[in-house]
Amino acid sequence: MLSIRNLSFRYAAASDAALQEVSLDAARGEVLGLLGPNGAGKTTLIAHLCGLLPIQSGTITLDQLPLSTQLARNPLRIALAPQEYAFYPSLSVVENLACFAGVGSLSGTMKKSRMLECLAFAQLERYSATRADRLSGGLKRRLNLAIAMLHRPELLLFDEPTVGVDPQSRAFLLQAIKKLALEGCAVIYTSHYMEEVEAIADRVVILDRGRVLQQGALDELLSSSSAHLLLAVDGNNNERLVAALSSFGHVTPQRVGVKITLASRDNLARVVAAVEAAGLTISHMRFGDDNLEQLFMSLTHSSLRD
Amino acid sequence: MLPLHSFLALIKKELLTLSRDIHGMVALFLMPMVFIIVMSMALKDVYTPPATTLSYAVADQDHGATSAKLLARWAQQHGAPQTLPQDWHNEVQSGRLKYVLVIEAGFSSLIDNPGLIDNPGSNSTAKVRLLAEPGLGNAIFETHRVRLAAMVTQLKTERLLAQLPPALNAGANINDSPVVAERMSAGPRPTAVQQNVPAWLVFGMFFVVASIAGLFVEERSCGALARLLSLGVKPWQLIASKIAPYLLVNGLQAALMLGVGIWLMPVIGGEALSLQGVHWGALLLMLFAISLAAVSMALAVACLVTTHAQAATLGPILNVLMAALGGVMVPVFVMPPVMQKIAVYSPMNWGLEGLLDVLLRNGEVGSVLNEIATLTGFSVLMLAIAFLLFRRRV
Repeated sequence: MLSIRNLSFRYAAASDAALQEVSLDAARGEVLGLLGPNGAGKTTLIAHLCGLLPIQSGTITLDQLPLSTQLARNPLRIALAPQEYAFYPSLSVVENLACFAGVGSLSGTMKKSRMLECLAFAQLERYSATRADRLSGGLKRRLNLAIAMLHRPELLLFDEPTVGVDPQSRAFLLQAIKKLALEGCAVIYTSHYMEEVEAIADRVVILDRGRVLQQGALDELLSSSSAHLLLAVDGNNNERLVAALSSFGHVTPQRVGVKITLASRDNLARVVAAVEAAGLTISHMRFGDDNLEQLFMSLTHSSLRD
Repeated sequence: MLPLHSFLALIKKELLTLSRDIHGMVALFLMPMVFIIVMSMALKDVYTPPATTLSYAVADQDHGATSAKLLARWAQQHGAPQTLPQDWHNEVQSGRLKYVLVIEAGFSSLIDNPGLIDNPGSNSTAKVRLLAEPGLGNAIFETHRVRLAAMVTQLKTERLLAQLPPALNAGANINDSPVVAERMSAGPRPTAVQQNVPAWLVFGMFFVVASIAGLFVEERSCGALARLLSLGVKPWQLIASKIAPYLLVNGLQAALMLGVGIWLMPVIGGEALSLQGVHWGALLLMLFAISLAAVSMALAVACLVTTHAQAATLGPILNVLMAALGGVMVPVFVMPPVMQKIAVYSPMNWGLEGLLDVLLRNGEVGSVLNEIATLTGFSVLMLAIAFLLFRRRV
């Protein structure tokens, strides 16, 4: 459905490009998790998808046609649920829905019924007359979601949609987003919370400094990183440990111990033997079973919350 | 092209957010209303000297028939005098008594004997003294002094005419004067209300700057603007959708301020605003041109500022500066020449002069075309700036 090829963008007066040769795809019925630390280029990418930034280099197509053409024909095919509360705080829930429904193509009974559907989907019926600025953080996020759904978009863009919400609201939002994908929407979901992306994303794109570091199905990415061995020895003698293991592959010192990527699982026994031969005593060892956070850190050398 | 119902949704949203902005409503409606009331009452005497309300007393040391006649005539025009207090010097000095007329002994005989006639205005020979409190305004003091001198002169002239033989005196009327003073094209009489209503109305209309800028910053910072743009709203459509509601707001302001002038001011002791003989077409065109200029400038400022703090300070500062320079706070004609030259660069001055043309000088459309054209040109420039800034900011 959505195809981005070699997209590059540099803000005026910026020394570095915000996006460099970014290529990715999103399909209907799929949740694409977009991960990256602050400044990775996620928001710039989303702004491109909403038509808020001009394409400087590369292409974005939606159903084989340039995005600009598709948006000119029907801008409502894509909806944005931005990081901020993108509604009017002094208006009530229903007034906000009516405003954004009216600005889009909806009017009359169609508008009314769609507003009711979205209120029900976001479970906001009880709060329809409440001013938006008097809602809790979780309810505000649900209103954000309800507004984004108004025009039955084919592609939904969520930019950090769960920031500042309680666990119950977060669970509700994730479930709702997953449901939208099951109904046939393409969803692009950016978040700082790895566990969220792991919970709902079918595929993941890891961005850093405007570049795609890795992308693919979540299972594939995690299994590709499962040959990581974390090893610590008594006395935390990393120098001797690095020297003992350097013939097995690239060794990265950690705060406690070292990390080494093994070419093959069969090398595990030989690594243990080499450590013991060097006169070191293993105090901690973990092999495989990486999660997304560990994969991300190994790729970007930083935490998502940096 | 944005469908009409989409455009109406934007306008409705604008009106709803504005109606819930309590500070904005106070600034737009209550503040200019209060200014009109306070300033009209405070400046009432500048335009209509209080001839009959100033407290005064009389120290008649003459007790003659002529002094009695003078005092009777004075009381006819200035109201009855108060009883002369014993310490009247202190009373006048402190301002509790505004002035005392002292008629020295011998005044009647001076008038009744033309051979003794002298200049009553000269201190050395004056027999009638006007002793005023130190704070009495120059204009009022001079008016009273001239009136007193004129009354004394009239008494002298009457006495002289009475002494002429009847043949020479026949048909003489000392009230005949070759001096005729009147205002051109009889519009409403200039009063504090007639001056202050248009002045503070213009000021209030330009106060949409703070309101629009504040709401626009909020709209941008909360992400609602990005969402609107992602729904296909074009920048010019968004700007246009903000013009219509605020033109309506300015229209309501104008109706309220005129209503205050016409109906409220007389109730609280001021003079009523008079729209007698006013050319309604010229008035409505002027109000529209002022409103368009105010809203356009507001949009340019709204697109320029990036934070609430900037919006909250820049708008009011610009307003107060334009008002001070443009003759809203102090009439341009009392400013020094340099300031008068600067005043013509304030958009509020264009609006105010146009409204005064209509409300005081019976101006028709033709006589305010210059002001309307200048305000419209200013609006076009401001809208262009707003559009360019919007494109750069978003």
